[in-house]
Amino acid sequence: MKAEVLKGHLDGLLLAALEAGPAHGYGIIHALREGSGGRIDLPTGTIYPVLHRLERAGLISGSWSTAGRPRRIYKLTAAGHRALEGERSAWREFADTVSALLEGKASPWPTPDPATA
Amino acid sequence: MAHPRPGNRITDHRVGRMGARLAGRTAADASAASNLGPALEPQETSLPPDPAGPQRIEAEIEAEIEVEIEAYLAAIATRLASLCLAGPRRARQAIIAELRDGLLQATTANLEQGLRPQQAAQAALEEFGDPTAVAAAFAPELAGIHARRTALTLTRTGPLVGVLWIAALAAIHAPPLRHGLTGVWLAFPLVGLGLATAALGTILAVATTGRPSRWLPPRPRRAPTAAAMVAIAAMVVDLTLLGMLAGQAISAPTTLTTLSGFGSHGAAAVVVLAPVASITRLALSGRATRRTLAARASLA
Repeated sequence: MKAEVLKGHLDGLLLAALEAGPAHGYGIIHALREGSGGRIDLPTGTIYPVLHRLERAGLISGSWSTAGRPRRIYKLTAAGHRALEGERSAWREFADTVSALLEGKASPWPTPDPATA
Repeated sequence: MAHPRPGNRITDHRVGRMGARLAGRTAADASAASNLGPALEPQETSLPPDPAGPQRIEAEIEAEIEVEIEAYLAAIATRLASLCLAGPRRARQAIIAELRDGLLQATTANLEQGLRPQQAAQAALEEFGDPTAVAAAFAPELAGIHARRTALTLTRTGPLVGVLWIAALAAIHAPPLRHGLTGVWLAFPLVGLGLATAALGTILAVATTGRPSRWLPPRPRRAPTAAAMVAIAAMVVDLTLLGMLAGQAISAPTTLTTLSGFGSHGAAAVVVLAPVASITRLALSGRATRRTLAARASLA
């Protein structure tokens, strides 16, 4: 799969990585790398700013954990959960449509009935 | 990814202790950290004990790792500092602290995979990427923070400068109705336009760097542009007000010498303070304009 395509969905993928519970930045990025079987191989350092942007947008919230070395822990906010659901349904719709067209599968969308239209 | 190489292994036991310390793990973190890699199980090894003593070797290895990581972080810090000129310092320090934690965790994960300490640190640095690229990725965030702060700071000076000017105009007998909206009041449409532009710019700068940004596609230049709008509008307002006072001084110098209201000392004070406040803010907004435009230009 092309890295550019995955990169286009980075926001949603990062939100999804936080769905299971709070995590620190490196844990999130590591989960993304492992979960994609290494296909997402962006420099780790360049993913932190994306987390910061999501935090500013209020989709995730970050806080410093005080135990030991300073560590920033992120968690999904209510708006983040909603955004993730939105990403999911948009992706399903897209995937279903493209599958139907590319693979000649039956369209998942009911065709309007000309009699009732 | 790293594969365990028997020849490169230092004792798992030692790596475990050092790794745990590098990762800054605490009992509370243990569960979160456990999903980063296979759990570490101390093993007995047949290697002879280190003659120099394990404690000293560990300290030396840690120091070596630290030197490499700190050099990398310093390179990023330098690039971040040059991006936004004197940009938000605390935000930069927070970025470095977060990256340091991530790098040490990556190093630990590599140590646990069996890499030698220096290789472990080197692999972590490679994973994090070129310092220039990392700093460039943070640039829009820092420019956004800087833009938001600039716009809000300039806007907050508005009421104070405004009150001083209203008081100064009252003191030099320039109430609008007595002069039939002529004289100094001719400048007011320009001031109004400036204030409206500044208000719009502030709203844009705050919106694009805050919650509403979730509905907007990320455009790095938007926030610096909005902040530059505020700074330029503030300059227009201040220059207009100063020009107005200068015009008044030339066309009707007696109004500046026969002040009234607030007692004569108070009147003299506001007539001096209002232009001083505007000149001060001109310096501020001039610098802000330069910086926001420079930040804007540096962003793709």
